[in-house]
Amino acid sequence: MSLLDIKNCTMKFGGLTCVDSLNTHVGKDELVGMIGPNGAGKTTVFNIITGVYNPSSGDVLFKEKSVVPLKPYEVAETGISRTFQNIRLFQSLSVRDNIRVSFVKSINAGFFISTLQIGNYLNEENEIEDKIDELLEIFGLIDVRDEYAVSLPYGEQRKVEIVRALATSPELLLLDEPAAGMNPTEKTELMNLIKMVKDKFKISILLIEHDMKVVMGVCERIIVLDYGKKIAEGNPENIKNDPKVIEAYLGESHH
Amino acid sequence: MKNKLLFLSSLVLVFIINLFAGNIDPYYYTILIYIGINIILASSLNLINGYTGQFSLGHAGFMAIGAYLSVSFSTYFAPFFIESFGQGIFGNTISFIILLLIGGIAAAIAGIIVGVPSLRLKGDYLAITTLGFAEIIRVIIQSLDVVGASQGFRGAYIFENGMKAAMIPADMSSVPYVFYSVPKYTNFFWTFAFVVIIIFFISNLMSSSYGRGFLAVKDDEIAAESMGVNTTKFKVIAFVSGAFFAGIAGALYGHFNLYINPEDFNFLKSVEIVVMVILGGMGSMIGVIIAAVILTILPEFLRGISEYRMIIYALLLIIMMLLRPQGLFGVQLRPGKKNKNK
Repeated sequence: MSLLDIKNCTMKFGGLTCVDSLNTHVGKDELVGMIGPNGAGKTTVFNIITGVYNPSSGDVLFKEKSVVPLKPYEVAETGISRTFQNIRLFQSLSVRDNIRVSFVKSINAGFFISTLQIGNYLNEENEIEDKIDELLEIFGLIDVRDEYAVSLPYGEQRKVEIVRALATSPELLLLDEPAAGMNPTEKTELMNLIKMVKDKFKISILLIEHDMKVVMGVCERIIVLDYGKKIAEGNPENIKNDPKVIEAYLGESHH
Repeated sequence: MKNKLLFLSSLVLVFIINLFAGNIDPYYYTILIYIGINIILASSLNLINGYTGQFSLGHAGFMAIGAYLSVSFSTYFAPFFIESFGQGIFGNTISFIILLLIGGIAAAIAGIIVGVPSLRLKGDYLAITTLGFAEIIRVIIQSLDVVGASQGFRGAYIFENGMKAAMIPADMSSVPYVFYSVPKYTNFFWTFAFVVIIIFFISNLMSSSYGRGFLAVKDDEIAAESMGVNTTKFKVIAFVSGAFFAGIAGALYGHFNLYINPEDFNFLKSVEIVVMVILGGMGSMIGVIIAAVILTILPEFLRGISEYRMIIYALLLIIMMLLRPQGLFGVQLRPGKKNKNK
């Protein structure tokens, strides 16, 4: 049984078909990579899964329930969380508060309790605080927790985004080009980080990446998209040698 | 706990000052009350425009609803209030609390009606919609005879035959009547009690984890949604609670001025409140309070050139945008700068 099932999904914008009858899945505790040339429709797939777009046809099942009719925040509640290709941190909030936003959906204290600060309010706030600190400790961000998130170096901003996504306690984490703009050292660090996240938090990860070293290094299975169509799927070894993939994608960068 | 003590002691302080407020020169007393009302208006708009990042330009509309509804209740139903609660200090207090809540809740309901459909809009579009709403409210009031239409409202005539009206109709001139003017309930205590309430309301809300949802909506709606924040809900909550306090401010205004006119709540009033928020710094509570104080006192010094007030406001805004776009006390967000609020 797979955690996420994408069934015959098509996404059209006017005359342009961005994703063309895509069928694929992500299993439980699996780390899947999605690669493809620019404009292949990778981020669109993410936007379909997270409810930003409604697919023109087809269905997306998460834990055997369709997430297509859900709004993005409802999808987040079911246990799918994501990061963004162009980092989207909350600029007026500190690192800690950026992560705190992820707890908004699970807080018992609503509007009135939060304004009156009655009942279990303080305990709950302290619990959240502890959980945030615990996460920041794991990712080595505890020293910068009171800095503005956007004032951090690029690599750390990516990390904060991953922590923020993890703080929603997802079962499936979608990472959109986490290595973009990173130098080789940071990339190696990121690969270790992704593996660590998967093992420590026992979640499935679907990852979009351009950097072959990262994809081949961490992914157990790779899906290759080109012009919205899936042209190959398999383990890194097979993908590396697939003539179709080389033609569409790797061929250009390997001369 | 500390927070609650501070809240209660602030209320007690307001109450004690109120005991001596009778000695204040009426002119300064009036200015003081207007300062309080403007702080409530500006802080409540700050919740919408500053913290949640939704540009509302119709705050005077909510104020008008609060003012007109609570004042019409206090005049048209004056016999009921007098009969039920009497006219002692205790009775007046209960009556006024009810009247303030009527104003606030009416404005909050209007906030839901306007907010739910229009908060899907962004930026300029939302500004235009809320501006249009406030103008609609004003025009409706202007044509409602029951609240005095464009002549304003100062009280209700209750005729012996049971008829009620804001003006004496021509054919009723011979019927005996009782005139109920707007009771002067608003005083230093009530005004500043609500200033204290709104300050604690906003600071508690914004310091809670729940309140981070509002700031997240302002910064990045897509990211907020992806983290499970129901952005529409947060926008509506901000809008409705902002409207509620604007309604309270309107009720306070009506029961102080004892005469309300649709022109008190025109577009320029909305602009004035927006200027306070921008001048003080979007999302800065202290900044907005100081701006509200300055912009209430400033016109008193400029009485001689009061026709140019709006020009001065405009210039002030332009200068602010050039020199200090984040407002007097707003925090400038620039990468590499530490969060000083922490």
